[in-house]
Amino acid sequence: MVGPIAKALLLVVAATAVARADEPTGDNPDAPPPKKTDEENAAGPPRRPDLTVRQVMRGPFRSSRLFSMPTTDVIGAYMLSLSGDGSLLQETGLLTSAGVLAIGFGDIAQLEYRHTSAISVTGVNAPLPGVGVQLKIPLPEHDAVPALGVAFRLGVPRREDFDGVFVDEKVSDLYFVGRLHWSRVDWLTLHGGTRISSASVSLGGDGAGSAKKTMYLPTAGYDIAMSEQSHIVGEIAAAPQFRWTPGSTEPPTIGYGLLGRLGVRWAVLPSVIIDGSIGYQLEVAHSRLASGPDDVVHWDIRLGAEVFVPWGALACRATGAFCD
Amino acid sequence: MSKRQGVIVTTVLLAAATASAQPAPIGAGGIPLPPPTDNTVATDGTPVDPPLDPNQPDAEHPIPPDQIPKDPYAHTAEPTRKAVPRPPISMPEVLTTQTGWLLPAAVLYSRTSIDTGGGVTSDNRVGLGDVAEFGIATIDSVREREDKDDTNVERIQPYVLASFRLGVQEERLFSGQPGVTLGFRKSFERNHNDYKTQIAELTLIASKHFGKNTALHIGGAFWDASVYGQFGEVDADGKAKKTEVTFHDGENFKNQVRAFGGLEVTPLPNSQILVDLGWAPEFCYHCDDADKIKLRPTLSWGVRYRVAEFMNLEAGVKVPDIASANLLDAQIFGQMTFTSWALRRAVDSLK
Repeated sequence: MVGPIAKALLLVVAATAVARADEPTGDNPDAPPPKKTDEENAAGPPRRPDLTVRQVMRGPFRSSRLFSMPTTDVIGAYMLSLSGDGSLLQETGLLTSAGVLAIGFGDIAQLEYRHTSAISVTGVNAPLPGVGVQLKIPLPEHDAVPALGVAFRLGVPRREDFDGVFVDEKVSDLYFVGRLHWSRVDWLTLHGGTRISSASVSLGGDGAGSAKKTMYLPTAGYDIAMSEQSHIVGEIAAAPQFRWTPGSTEPPTIGYGLLGRLGVRWAVLPSVIIDGSIGYQLEVAHSRLASGPDDVVHWDIRLGAEVFVPWGALACRATGAFCD
Repeated sequence: MSKRQGVIVTTVLLAAATASAQPAPIGAGGIPLPPPTDNTVATDGTPVDPPLDPNQPDAEHPIPPDQIPKDPYAHTAEPTRKAVPRPPISMPEVLTTQTGWLLPAAVLYSRTSIDTGGGVTSDNRVGLGDVAEFGIATIDSVREREDKDDTNVERIQPYVLASFRLGVQEERLFSGQPGVTLGFRKSFERNHNDYKTQIAELTLIASKHFGKNTALHIGGAFWDASVYGQFGEVDADGKAKKTEVTFHDGENFKNQVRAFGGLEVTPLPNSQILVDLGWAPEFCYHCDDADKIKLRPTLSWGVRYRVAEFMNLEAGVKVPDIASANLLDAQIFGQMTFTSWALRRAVDSLK
């Protein structure tokens, strides 16, 4: 009994959605959506039933990160952001990739689900999920006054096997970040902050020893708007660096390392951003660290993308739910 | 509720929802048209004029052309898209070396080359946002030899690289500004003759037009490479062990830095004369560690003929190690270059 009723309800909803999609809006479908204030901009496109899908997908959208560094912005309520990037060069024979699913939670927060993985040619290693939350401190924004944000990322252990010795590495981060934008230099946005990392490494299997350290790590970045669609982005950050020599009887240690990325974020469409960058040691928990910045052969090239899904505006358009 | 009742309710709701979505016919001035009347024929068969409506037009008060009712279901032709004039593309490569010019956003670039030494190379790129480009290429310029007395220097090919370049287009920031590009390319690990090798190159190059017919490219490159294999060392058990030697292990930083560049002259509207000087790594497996990786200069010269807006033909001569003045190693090459705005058009249409 439940089956036919459910099917009927589904058909009604689908038919209503189709019918609504056919309704004349009275507007030019190519017309840009009405202008919004800056505060409204952070919340994504307007959720109005008379907007076409094309108008909805024109945004505006706002990213909540540079490449790996969080910014003070959040993607906004009723928004979903899917990010992913990968490199074939960082580790030999492996496609290292990372993905983030972020959901706007109100206009000042977002929840994240992270998924970092290493996919080998012969098999798939265990996925490494993680969660995070990012908050924009709700203070009025003024020119040349920094906006502030907080992000927390809870790491899960990464295990590597060196001839029977298991190395478990884990990093959890708390970021305090700021963003500075000055209208006189409106093409430049500066980002900076501190990352408080709790890093731990332990040996298992045929090895023994562990280390744990809380570290205060500066992080900084910049965003140069080359055009409306293209931004040159650079970021540099100190990071925990795990040191242990396979085969050694010495316990592992945790030191300071340096990460840097320089590249482009290109909004090929308002809702799709393509990332391309060159970098020096992106991965924090990595057993094969470069010996220095001149170790160019261990730099990598990463390509990625961020896709925004304004699910609230689309649902409003289709069913009338979640409208402003 | 029985299954039949459910189907009936669903059908009714579906039909009602779809029907309610259909627009009402629009009359002059946006007023919905009245429903059609059937009393245009009398009961005796004689035609009868419909009742006069003071709002209806007549011969004395015709409908203005812009208020003529339109059939909302009439087929309307798709608006024709105007062809957007595209500027000529400044090539990201001379013959074998990079330039300071970047591909425009979403422009595709493909170059395929063959030479008399049996070398086949390919270079495929895409422009990212007018400020960067990404590419995958295969090259044949990396060479290997067994030891320093080995005169049979072989090419390792294909050698697959990924590249990423970032920069500012010429004349973008101020008048007279050259195009400046920071580039990085790095190979995948290549296993050849039981030796695993890898190369990487970081470049900074400026390109500038001088007049309409001349362009100059000058840059610097920072090279790095690694080779992993058995070089005669043994471990504590007396077994041969494999070790890795990298270029940056050397004591002299200057060995990794090289200048390179090129010149383009356009004597005829569709023809260019090109000269460039670049560098390529050479691995010597049983040389001393300091000499295991060397950079060799490569000189190329040739012509480029613009066959069509999207296609160039290039031919010329390449001398892999010009420092040794060994012209017997010189190769004559031919290459085809294609550029395409198709992806850009597709992206623009989605906007």
